[in-house]
Amino acid sequence: MSELSAAAAEALGVPEALVHRSAAARAAETGASIDDVLTAWAGGGDVPVAKAAEAPPTDEVAEETAPAPEAPADDIVAPLSDEMPKPAEPVSPGQVAAPTTASGKPPILVGEADNPIGVLVGAVALFLAIFLVGLVGPALPAEIPGARSSDLPFSEAALRGQHIYRSVGCASCHTQLVRPVVADVDLGAVTLSDSNQVLGTRRFGPDLSNLGARTTASQIGAVVTGLGDHPSLALASEDLEDLVAYLLESRTLGTAAENDVTGTDDVGDTPAGEEPAQP
Amino acid sequence: MLPPSRFATREPLAATQTADTRALLRSASDGDRVVSAHFLAGALFLTLAGGFELLALFSLRFGGLSPVSYGRMESMANITVMLGFLVMSLTGGIYYVLPRLTGTRLWRRDLAFVGMLAMSGLVVIDLLAVVLGLGGGRQPFGLPWWLHIPMLAVLTIPFLVTVMTVRRREETRSFVTLWFVIGGVTWLPLLYLVYFAGDLPFVSSLAETYSDLFFSAGFVTLWVFAVGGGLFYYTVVKELEIPLASRQLAAVGFWSLGFAGAWWGTAQLVFGPGPGWIDGVSAALGLAFPIGALANASNVSLTLQGHWERLSDKPGVVSGVIGLYLGVTVAILASFASFPSVGSITALTAYWEAIEYGALFGVGVLLVAGIAFEAMPRVSGRDLSSLDRPRSFNRWTVIGAGGVMISLVTAGLVSGFSWVAGSNSAAYVDAGDGWAAGAGASDVLLLVAFGFGVIAFLGQLAYAATVIGTVTIGRAVPQEILVYGSDDRQGTREVTVVEGEDE
Repeated sequence: MSELSAAAAEALGVPEALVHRSAAARAAETGASIDDVLTAWAGGGDVPVAKAAEAPPTDEVAEETAPAPEAPADDIVAPLSDEMPKPAEPVSPGQVAAPTTASGKPPILVGEADNPIGVLVGAVALFLAIFLVGLVGPALPAEIPGARSSDLPFSEAALRGQHIYRSVGCASCHTQLVRPVVADVDLGAVTLSDSNQVLGTRRFGPDLSNLGARTTASQIGAVVTGLGDHPSLALASEDLEDLVAYLLESRTLGTAAENDVTGTDDVGDTPAGEEPAQP
Repeated sequence: MLPPSRFATREPLAATQTADTRALLRSASDGDRVVSAHFLAGALFLTLAGGFELLALFSLRFGGLSPVSYGRMESMANITVMLGFLVMSLTGGIYYVLPRLTGTRLWRRDLAFVGMLAMSGLVVIDLLAVVLGLGGGRQPFGLPWWLHIPMLAVLTIPFLVTVMTVRRREETRSFVTLWFVIGGVTWLPLLYLVYFAGDLPFVSSLAETYSDLFFSAGFVTLWVFAVGGGLFYYTVVKELEIPLASRQLAAVGFWSLGFAGAWWGTAQLVFGPGPGWIDGVSAALGLAFPIGALANASNVSLTLQGHWERLSDKPGVVSGVIGLYLGVTVAILASFASFPSVGSITALTAYWEAIEYGALFGVGVLLVAGIAFEAMPRVSGRDLSSLDRPRSFNRWTVIGAGGVMISLVTAGLVSGFSWVAGSNSAAYVDAGDGWAAGAGASDVLLLVAFGFGVIAFLGQLAYAATVIGTVTIGRAVPQEILVYGSDDRQGTREVTVVEGEDE
C-alpha cells in the first residue's frame, strides 16, 4: 500500500485494500498506471476513461421508461461499468426518447414519480377497513334478550383445565364448535357467539363440546394418556383431573336453569328445560 | 442528448474484486452485511422448521407414536417458518433492495442487525415456551401473551428502517417493488398487534378465534405474497435486465392482495358462531386474493415473454416464477373454499391445512429463494456454490410441497364428505377410537402427505445448503458495492454500483 492508496481510501471512505485492488482493476481496464488512477481518486487529477460501451437496443425499453422532460433518475442498481455515459441515440420525430443511464442501459428499475409515503397511508387505511369489517364487526357480541347462552360457568378446576387444554395444543386438532350443518348432526346444540369454550379451527380429532354428555371421566383420562392413536400428553395427575373437569363441563349450553332455554331450531339441541346428560 | 444522471457524477470505483469479505465487513457496504445475516439466519431456521413440520405431519398420522403432540409440534413449525424464516428472510430481501431503489443508505444498519439478532433469540425462546407447556394455545403460534410484546417490538424494526430510509430517498421515482415493501412492513406489525389483542382478557372466544384466523390469513397474503411477490419483481428485472411489463398490473396485484388480506381467514369459520353475513361477505371479497396473485404472476410472465430460454442458468428466477404460480393455485383453493356451499364441506378439515402448508412451505420458500439466490452472490462476492442445488431445491419443493397440498386437500374433502354423509357424526358418540374408524380413508392420505413432506424437506435442506454454501465455498465473483457520498450528516447523495471482474 502507498500513500496514494491511503489518500484515495480516505477520500472515498472505502478500505485501503479495496481501493488498491480497485485501482489495479481500473488500471488494467484503461491502460493507465495504478498511480494515475489512485492520484485521480485522491483528488489529484483526471481519471482515466475507458472506451464507451455500446448503447442497448431501444426496443428493450418498455413502458417503465416514460418520456422524461428532465434528467431521468439513474438505474441505480444496474451494474455500472467504468465507462463514461454515452449520449443517447438520436430519435426520430414523434418517437419517445428513452431515458438512459450512466451505463447506457435503460432505467429498468426506475418507475414513475410518486410518493411512497402515500402508499403507506393507503396501506394503513386499507388495513383499518378490513380490520373493522372483517374482524371487529363479526366479533361484536350479539345480545338478544331472553336468548339462551353458551357462556358456561366453569368451576375453578375446569378453568385450570381450560388453561391446560390451551397450553398443550388440544385446539390444534379438536374443535369445541357445533355448526348448523349436516356434518355436525348429533354433536349437540349449535354453538352460540357468546361461547367461552376454545373454538378451534381444525377437526383432526373429534369435536369436544358436549363431551360430558357422551363419555365418562375415565374414558377421557384413558384417551389423554395415550389410548389408541391419541398422543400421550404426559400430564401430572392434578393437571389431568383439571383437564378432564374442563372437558366434562364443556357443553354447548349451560344447564337449563342457568341458561333460560327458550327453545331452538338447532339440530341436536338439548330439549328446552331438560338437563343435559352428565357423566 | 439526454444528460447523464446525477448518480453518475461521481467517478465509480471501477472494477473491484471483492471476495475479501473481511474488507467488506469494514466497508461502506455494511448494509449488505445485514442482508447476508438475515438470509443466513433464515436458512438455518428453515431447516429447523422443515424438521418440525415433518414431525407434525408424522404426529398427525401416528399420534400415538409421536413423542410430542401435533398441537405443540405444529405451533413450533409455525413459529420457526413464519417468524424465523419468512419474516427474517423477506426482511433481508427488503434491506437488500431498499438502498438500491432509494439511492440512499439503509437507515440505522445497527438497528436492523440488532433486529435480526432479537428475532433469532425470540424464536428460540418461543420454541422453548411451547415445548415447556407455557403457551397460550392460540394458533398459529401457541405463545403465552407476554411473549407477544417483545415480538411486536421486533416486528416494528423493519417498518422503522424502511420508512426512514424511504423518507431520506434520493430517487424520486418509485419502482413497483417499493410499494410492496412499504405495504408489507406496515401491515406486519399491525397484523401482529391484532393477533396480540386476541389475548386481552375481555376478548371473547369468538373474537379470539377470528383474530387468530385474521393473523394467519393476513400473514400469508399481506406479508408472504405481497412482499415476496414485490421483491421478485426486482429480481426478474434486475437479473434479466429487462423492463417490467406493466406498472398498472403490479398496482392491481398490490392493492388486491391488500384488500384480500383477511377474508379468506374469516371464511374458515363458515357457519360458525359469528353472524351469517360475514360468510357471504368473505366469499365475495375473498375473490381479491386470486386476482392479486394472478395479476402478479401474469405480469411476470408478460415481462419474461421472449426471455424464457434465459432462465436455464437463473435458478432464483425460476424459483420465483414457480412460487408465483403455486401462489395462484393456493389463492384459488382458498377463495373457492370461502364460498359457504363449499365451506360446509371443507371447513375445519385438512383442506385448510393444505392451503397454509402450500402458502408457507411452498409459495413462501420459493419466493424467498427468488430473491435470496439473486442477492447472495451480489452482497457476498461469491457465486452460488452450485447450480445443481438450487435446481434440486426447485424440483423437490414443487414435488414435495405440491404433493403435501394435494394429499391434504384430498384428505380434507374425504373427511368433509364423510361427515356430510353422516359416517363420522356417529363416530363422535364414541370419542377417540370412533374418530379413527370414521376417518380411516383420510388416514392413508395423511400418510401420503408425510411422504411428500420428506421430499419437501429435502428441498428445504437444498435451499439452506445453497445459501450457506454461497458464503462459505462459493467461487469469488464480481460483487455489487454501494458507495455513498461523504456527507452522512444529510444523508447520502450518491450511489454508484460497481461490479468488477474476478481476479
